[in-house]
Amino acid sequence: MLTLPRRPIRIASAAILTLVIAALIAAVLWAILAAATDAASGSRIDIAHLLRMTALQAGLTTVLSLAVGIAVAWALNRLRFAGRDLVVGLFAAAIVTPGMVVAFGLLSIWGRNGWINQVANALFGIQFESPAYGLSGILLAHVVLDGAFAARILLARLDAIPQSRLKVGQSLALGAVQRFTLIDWPALRGSLPGLGAIIFLLAFTSFPIVLLLGGGPANQTLEVAIYTAVRLDFDLVGAVRLALTQIGVCSVVILLASVFTPVPSALSRSTPPRWRDRRAVRALQWLVLVLAGVGFALPLVSVLYDGLAGGLLRVLGQAGFWRATATSVVIGTASALLTLVLALLLALGRSATGHPLGRTLLGIPAFAYLAVPAVVLSLGFFLLVRTLGVPIGTAAPVVVVIANSLLSLPFAVATLGPPLEAIMATRGKLIRSLGLSGWQQFIAIEYPLLGRDIGLMLALAFCFSLGDLGVIALFGTQDFQTLPLMMYRALGSYRSNDAAAIAALLLIFTIAAFVGLPRLVERIAHAPRR
Amino acid sequence: MVKSSSLALAVLLAGLSGSAIAQDKPVLTIYTYDGFASEWGPGVPLKEGFEATCGCTVNWVAADSSIGTLRKVQLEGESTEADIVLGLDTAIAGEARDTGLFADHGLELDHLDLPTAWTDAQFVPFDYSHFAFMWDTDRMDAPPASFEELIALPEDVKIAIQDPRSATPGLGLLLWVKAAYGDRAPEIWAGLKPHILTITREWSESYALFLDGEADMVLSYTTSPAYHILDEGDHTIKAALFEEGHFAQIEVAGILKSSPHQDLARDFLAYLTSVEGQKVIPTTNWMFPVVDLGGDLDPAFADLPQPDKTLRLNEAEITANSSAWIEEMLAAVQ
Repeated sequence: MLTLPRRPIRIASAAILTLVIAALIAAVLWAILAAATDAASGSRIDIAHLLRMTALQAGLTTVLSLAVGIAVAWALNRLRFAGRDLVVGLFAAAIVTPGMVVAFGLLSIWGRNGWINQVANALFGIQFESPAYGLSGILLAHVVLDGAFAARILLARLDAIPQSRLKVGQSLALGAVQRFTLIDWPALRGSLPGLGAIIFLLAFTSFPIVLLLGGGPANQTLEVAIYTAVRLDFDLVGAVRLALTQIGVCSVVILLASVFTPVPSALSRSTPPRWRDRRAVRALQWLVLVLAGVGFALPLVSVLYDGLAGGLLRVLGQAGFWRATATSVVIGTASALLTLVLALLLALGRSATGHPLGRTLLGIPAFAYLAVPAVVLSLGFFLLVRTLGVPIGTAAPVVVVIANSLLSLPFAVATLGPPLEAIMATRGKLIRSLGLSGWQQFIAIEYPLLGRDIGLMLALAFCFSLGDLGVIALFGTQDFQTLPLMMYRALGSYRSNDAAAIAALLLIFTIAAFVGLPRLVERIAHAPRR
Repeated sequence: MVKSSSLALAVLLAGLSGSAIAQDKPVLTIYTYDGFASEWGPGVPLKEGFEATCGCTVNWVAADSSIGTLRKVQLEGESTEADIVLGLDTAIAGEARDTGLFADHGLELDHLDLPTAWTDAQFVPFDYSHFAFMWDTDRMDAPPASFEELIALPEDVKIAIQDPRSATPGLGLLLWVKAAYGDRAPEIWAGLKPHILTITREWSESYALFLDGEADMVLSYTTSPAYHILDEGDHTIKAALFEEGHFAQIEVAGILKSSPHQDLARDFLAYLTSVEGQKVIPTTNWMFPVVDLGGDLDPAFADLPQPDKTLRLNEAEITANSSAWIEEMLAAVQ
């Protein structure tokens, strides 16, 4: 590792950020314990059982999502067709769309009264048991959300395989299987541990989906138990105890993922493929894509369909809608930029250190928000703000931006981390021998090569914030509301048509951001060279 | 030092947001659930109506649920900004009372028109409705007329209900079954179990499942059909009336002891329960008003079929037993 250029400032910045995030979480837990006046009432929750069930569900979700993600990324990487960008955008949109919207989209396809059942009923007169409820429903929803996200991230890695390598492969006449194992797999491998950890944590801490599709109290997660402790029992000490359990379990997963030295993956601009697989393989790729379309894209299409057919005009005519849109865009932009800064600090620091322990420690803070239960974080933030004596209404935008940035940080680091590692691995020696400063290294080498990934990351962070419902729920007021909050309020006032229209518009914004931002940033990043 | 710097920060932020705090008018801060404060809810007309006479500013702060509003003031304790908490119901009023945070309202409430006489010193009712299961005449031939008939239906008839730990209707259903069947409640829950499609966190999710055709029936209110009649011209959604009687949800508001605006808060509650204030309730919150509006009540409401019998449990019994009853219900449906 002597080939790495010395970058003490990068390492120090990442280390300071790590400490700040750790301190923030400690402060949040402290604020809750300080507010807990009563002695803990004995919690009757069977934690061991809960952990077993949750780990099983999350494990299944992770394996299925990665497998599905790889298959879809593989098919999308090979195929070119009109509207491909839109399909890719649709896939990316799933992860950032509010869980409720996706869940209802799923139900309109897979539910008891869903499209599939309606078609089956009309054609064959049969009605089958819906897979959308119970454990299978939770898995279905999670794989749709997380598998689509995995596909988007892995596709970026496959699209970045240099043309030169593909040309060599083609000249060696590699078969489809050899091509995958020799060229694709090395490019994917580096992203899998981080991605797997994110998916596991997302499923482990999943909340609204588990409640809606789980069918009832039989299917729970630790996160739901924490919510119950706060809401029903008002047992804050118990909630912190449960939260610490969850943080402990999640930390183990994070440590395992961080210990893996990401395998450097290739780095290049995306170009259309000139090397086509054989016809049978192409047929398989189309099949994967069609199945993925039915499973992933169709639920989102149904959200668009329901929304645009219903109360669209009524919603567009409301002043409140435009205010909420403006608020959402401002909050989303601010938290995307903050996320970019945080993720770059962490990823640059991590790629600059050769020490395994340093790498592991600097990898941890990215996952902070996934490990700490959302209800605990928002509650803790809420209490902290009060302790500082700032009125909730005025602090709300700041807190929401910070919380949303932390929320998208793991995704941002998973997007920027592997390409930065790759730059260090392939160009570290060169950078050192040229004697570039850290700043020159970033401007001349890293930034231009990262263009598309930065765009993807900005889109992710922006849309996460756009779709957030957890943080805003505690801080929203009549005058400060975002689109998801407005959607939820419409749903709570019988106006499901309005809610559907807002959901569809949210989805359209999201897809537009995913199609547009990576291209835009790549263009900006490459502009000086033209 | 800490205090002055955070004060400076607060002033700075307040200046940036250009809020009404800078003005001299007193601000009446009311915590409520999000549906109430939404642009479609009663919050907007009530604010306009009261501000026209009070020389004050009404500031709604919406939490994600009515239980959420209670937890929020409990967390904030004496330092809460809230002057009034609005949207609790009689099932959780006992718990709220036990916090010791609420002051006496001191209002004469003998003009009210409710299923039960009202004598509460701290909480003021502002609307009510009976819990009931909704059904759709397009999808079901005849509704069940009791819990026992519901249980006896084929298993593919599914209902959506709410978690009693997070949603007040969910808790209401629990109390309904308890009030109607007493010690037989676990038996009823076990019978309902195969019919339960899912137990959602909030009312809105259950109701959406019903409207999407996922669930055949949903736990809601006898007043829910009025929304569909008035806003959508849809007469197919009806409430199933049960022979054993129905439990009612009465929504209440209370003044916090810590509020510096006791008189103003009392004036607001008086306005809320006046004929003028109550006129906005039916078509915005889709519940019955607590005063007799006479001809001002839309016929879509006035003509709604109502249960013959209102079931009751006393507050002390609810407060003492609700945790145990929730455990009992969860054990039966798990």
